[in-house]
Amino acid sequence: MADPVSIAMGQGSSCWGCFQSLVDIHLNLAQVLPALEIKYWQAVADFKLHHLESYEDKSIVVGLYEGMARTEEDIHLLKLLRDKCQVLIAFGSCSCFGGIPGLANFSDIEECYDVKFRENATVTGGKVPSENLPGIAPVVKPNNSFVDIDIYLPGCPPTSKLILTAVTKLLAGEPIELPPHTVCHYCEREKKETPVEKILRPYQGIADPDRCLLEQGYICMGSSTWGLCEGQCVNKGATCRGCFGPPPPILQDHGANSMAMLGTYAPLPSEQIKEQVKDPLGTFYRFDYATSNLGQIRIKREEVKTR
Amino acid sequence: MTSTSLSTTETVDSQGEWEPKIMAFCCNWCSYAGADLAGTSRIQYPTNARILRVNCTGRISPEFILAALNMGADGVLVSGCHPGDCHYTSGNLKARARWALMETAIEQAGVDPRRVRLQWASASEAQVFADGVRTLTEQVRKLGPIRREWV
Repeated sequence: MADPVSIAMGQGSSCWGCFQSLVDIHLNLAQVLPALEIKYWQAVADFKLHHLESYEDKSIVVGLYEGMARTEEDIHLLKLLRDKCQVLIAFGSCSCFGGIPGLANFSDIEECYDVKFRENATVTGGKVPSENLPGIAPVVKPNNSFVDIDIYLPGCPPTSKLILTAVTKLLAGEPIELPPHTVCHYCEREKKETPVEKILRPYQGIADPDRCLLEQGYICMGSSTWGLCEGQCVNKGATCRGCFGPPPPILQDHGANSMAMLGTYAPLPSEQIKEQVKDPLGTFYRFDYATSNLGQIRIKREEVKTR
Repeated sequence: MTSTSLSTTETVDSQGEWEPKIMAFCCNWCSYAGADLAGTSRIQYPTNARILRVNCTGRISPEFILAALNMGADGVLVSGCHPGDCHYTSGNLKARARWALMETAIEQAGVDPRRVRLQWASASEAQVFADGVRTLTEQVRKLGPIRREWV
């Protein structure tokens, strides 16, 4: 067997779901793990941050970064991984596009503090903690605004199969070639040529299990979303929420194009569509607000406030 | 994300006053011809609009409009055939539905929706087109440069 490939895995502000998905490759770990030399993985291996800091620059072959860079420690870790690793992979949608933590930019930092620390259902008159904790960045910026990212591996989380494919290719030193199809390519539901007459909320009506969900009026973003998930949700009866982001080219404005998609399928008069789609920003930008054009405008504005 | 920034090229008139920069998308079959007619009819309207011809307003994704704003356009105008008159049957109806979604989204994101305008102007309605450009330019002039929000 060839020499193990050195790898460092960093976690920013996230839910650990992506690494959980990596662990979920189950018995395949038996092949993958011996081929890896883990240099840093804070939740699994006993390496501290100063170990990572002490490695020579570019001495680690692969780096995986999961999550957003919300705290100053996250930003430090992200930059550190970029320095130490030859190939840096944005692992999961948070790391690629901002993901759910990126939605924090819907509100400014003071509003976030209020809800989290000062006044909420269980706390009154709370204070923002400051001792022994890394500072919180006033606005969430996408990872690719701090460092150059070599490979984007989106998904919330990336499926175990996708991770296995990517890791196998990496270990073999081959380029990771992923199919560019959208979710619809993998969806088994029947699509007819019918414009949508009314847009429904998920709880309304009973969906026909064999027919395209979007045609039935449920907002399914499958046709504007990269289908690396192979249509898991749509084939089980849930609409696609767009967690894999846009199909290649990877950093196009997924939210804006999803709005274009819905407008195409449901060419309804303005008042009707405004009445029926309650929250376009939250619906279409759920996973990629931070890298979208609207998100960029918001980031620029929030940055001005803090200056 | 798009790293190209047009926002560094501020438009100023001869007195050094700021001038709004308007991106205008016109459909080939109605509004672009209408804009052409406005020119041949010598109708006066502000010179702030940079007109880009597209085959149909149905070709315009909200991405184009939002990217223009992100890159420093102070306002965006989309001008197409009247509903029902689309050369491709229903392109403008799709544009209208997208517009409704986009308008709500930009308001939620904190961008003033008065920076964008959707209008219908047929090939014979040169005056409607010119008035639309004037209305949007004046609206945006009151709001100020989009960069003012973040510089």
